[in-house]
Amino acid sequence: MVIPDYYEFGSRTHIMAGYDALEQIPGLLSSMDAQNPMVITDQGVSRAGLVDILLQALDSRITIKTIQDDVPADSDLITVHTLAGQYRKYGCNAIIALGGGSVMDTAKGVNILVSASSDNLLAFSGANALTHALNPLVAVPTTAGTGSEVTRVAVISDPDNLRKLLFTSGFLMPDAAVLDPRMTLTLPAPVTAATAMDALSHAVEACLCLGRNPLSTAHAHEAIALISQHLLPVILQPDHKPGRLALATGAALAGMAFSNSMVGMVHTLGHSVGSVCHAPHGTCMAVLLPYGMAYNLHKTQPLLADLLLPMAGADVYARTPPADRAQKAIDWVNRMNQRLHQVTAGAHAVCLREMKSQDGKSLVPGHLLPKIAHTALGDGSIFYNPEDLDYDDCLMVLEAAFNGAPLDLSRVKKG
Amino acid sequence: MTDFMEISPGRHHRKRLYLSCMLWFFGRAVQAAARVDDGVKSEFAAMPDNFTFCLGAFPSGPYMVVGKDSLGRVRHLGSSIADRTIHLHMMFKNPALLFRVFSFQESTPVANARNRLYVHGDVPQACAVVRIMDMVQVFLLPKFLAKRAVKRYPAWPLKRRTLVRAQVYVRAFAGL
Repeated sequence: MVIPDYYEFGSRTHIMAGYDALEQIPGLLSSMDAQNPMVITDQGVSRAGLVDILLQALDSRITIKTIQDDVPADSDLITVHTLAGQYRKYGCNAIIALGGGSVMDTAKGVNILVSASSDNLLAFSGANALTHALNPLVAVPTTAGTGSEVTRVAVISDPDNLRKLLFTSGFLMPDAAVLDPRMTLTLPAPVTAATAMDALSHAVEACLCLGRNPLSTAHAHEAIALISQHLLPVILQPDHKPGRLALATGAALAGMAFSNSMVGMVHTLGHSVGSVCHAPHGTCMAVLLPYGMAYNLHKTQPLLADLLLPMAGADVYARTPPADRAQKAIDWVNRMNQRLHQVTAGAHAVCLREMKSQDGKSLVPGHLLPKIAHTALGDGSIFYNPEDLDYDDCLMVLEAAFNGAPLDLSRVKKG
Repeated sequence: MTDFMEISPGRHHRKRLYLSCMLWFFGRAVQAAARVDDGVKSEFAAMPDNFTFCLGAFPSGPYMVVGKDSLGRVRHLGSSIADRTIHLHMMFKNPALLFRVFSFQESTPVANARNRLYVHGDVPQACAVVRIMDMVQVFLLPKFLAKRAVKRYPAWPLKRRTLVRAQVYVRAFAGL
């Protein structure tokens, strides 16, 4: 491992993980003198009964001021501003974010506004625009994927401009992340698959991108090992609590890794597919991950080769000649996507063309690929990718991912 | 307080002078490239009129300020940020880190990945400015240095590598 001349790593989020982690929240909030929290969640979480489980665990030891469950699948500026108004109206002094990535990022956006007494979230977009600590935020993830419960990042849609705004600051890390397998036991298999592949993409990109460092790589390798070992068994046995806790732990580790090394083109393109087509983020990541690995292969071969060990295990790693390990790691991700496609009865898409909405409509029409490629050029994560990307590169990768065809490596420009 | 002698921080005058010269010439080259190169032109075309960005170092510079006026013309606006509305700040944490980039010890993407600079402003516009900086560096620098400054040295057509490059140099020196 090459240690860079200089690197930074920070992870201040207090993690409470285990089979009764939810019950620790009242004590935690008391210690922060924040006993009037607002719960931010979405209707899917609410319908799945997870809010009830949370309230039962909290008992009557704290006063929930309000429960807001209107967060959309793709968090946006309007929702953030609306919820900030509710926070102020009910006199809250903390937030419990109960949900997946959209809920977490919405909660972070709300926390920015209420902590800074502002009505303009755009003023805080970009890197390190926050200069003050925020109000207490406790993150309770209900998927094992986003990692947002431990990251310094929030991604919030700007629907007027069809783009995703990136917020990065150490102050955005939640005060605590509560990883309780009760929150993911009822997660449907396709969502479990997509979110875990999202976490895998965080870990893989954390190892490959320009901000990688020994600490982020260590977290990422452990995350890859946990996800690789437990994803398929959990899909086959959804109520397996240890497996669920392992995936939640893997997602948090991947979150810590990419929060410190940032992510590259898989997210550059994935964010853009999401913002232009409103496609689910996790599935975009799953589809695009092997393409991102292949595109960067010539610049990251030794790093990719190292990933084969946590992905496929010691036996496969030892049997594979060193020169073949990088390609084998890419093949492993492709095979994992195929396997997930099989065990979810086709619900886990393996190419962009296959991504469908609930009513069976195509989510990513081919004619939008140029627009997606153009949008990608304005995504902040493009800075961190090892190889440069221009419009033609983005379109080439998107077209291959759309059709599920292997990336033609001879078309990848090298300079 | 009288018990202690006040010590002024040392200044690296030569480095500061080098950076000021580099930023001055680089700013003029951005202006020149925006006149003659289609790639740089198209990046600026996507930016709003009356848009100004600044590249520099905390806490007190040096700076390079470039703006697009109400007529869409790109101009190097000098090295002062006083009394200006800057829409995009790209600021290195200190002059030594800016020096690393302008002495080609570290590329801008690597400096960014190592959290050496703050970007305040619109992220898509920051991405566009980085692409402009990459193109201008390729115009100005010999290949062996430019390869250290950008992620991928581009395979430009002969006309762009020769004629357009010469125009950028002449206009940058002449301030056109």
